[in-house]
Amino acid sequence: MLVGTALDIIRQVLPPRAVFVDHPVGRTFGPPHDRERNEAVLARVLAELPNFTQPGEIRDPGFEWAPNGSREWESELRAEMLHDR
Amino acid sequence: MPFEYLPMMAANAAPKPPRVLVAPSQRAWCPMRKSLDAARVALLTSAALRLSSQEPFIPREDVSYRLVPSDPGAGEIIIDHHSGIGTVPKQDPEIVFPRTALAALVNKGVVGKLAPFHVSVMGGVRRQKEIETELAPAIARELAKAEVDLALLVPY
Repeated sequence: MLVGTALDIIRQVLPPRAVFVDHPVGRTFGPPHDRERNEAVLARVLAELPNFTQPGEIRDPGFEWAPNGSREWESELRAEMLHDR
Repeated sequence: MPFEYLPMMAANAAPKPPRVLVAPSQRAWCPMRKSLDAARVALLTSAALRLSSQEPFIPREDVSYRLVPSDPGAGEIIIDHHSGIGTVPKQDPEIVFPRTALAALVNKGVVGKLAPFHVSVMGGVRRQKEIETELAPAIARELAKAEVDLALLVPY
């Protein structure tokens, strides 16, 4: 089962089972040094396992990076990715 | 609407053409024969991570793999992947390789058992044919030998 943050890429590579985590790339299980959140994300991902019924399904449990649902992280990530060209 | 990575990857690749994403030649499906609380689970990462005592990955086109002990206390994790995004996970590899979280879920009975090892490869490799015909089958044999029921692939 794949656990990924890049939905557009997941859709192209056809994993048998995939769970989409709507976090910035490289932070799939939360921010650094937050073991509670690492475990919560992993548990929620694994809870999707029985829900898969056919190959190629992508499940979205509704993860949010910011507690208030803000997507400000996207502009920060964009700058980070361009900076690393 | 989710963040779109492909346009960013294309911009970063310019003036070279964007990376071609390759899907497997055959769609895979393996039914789960056990419930999660009875299953043996392994992590599979493409972060090219390893114990500091293990042989480093070679940048860019390495198709080898490392078996990383699943015990979170087994030693320091090093990330060899060349991605610039790695500056954050290099501060704490657990955010892409949740070895401690998985062990905690085993201790709580949510997950049945830890595999004796997790598996690490280099992501972003273009040697697709070797990955499909050599690397992936070798990893599958390792996981089958260890009686792993579920491998959780976390791309980097």
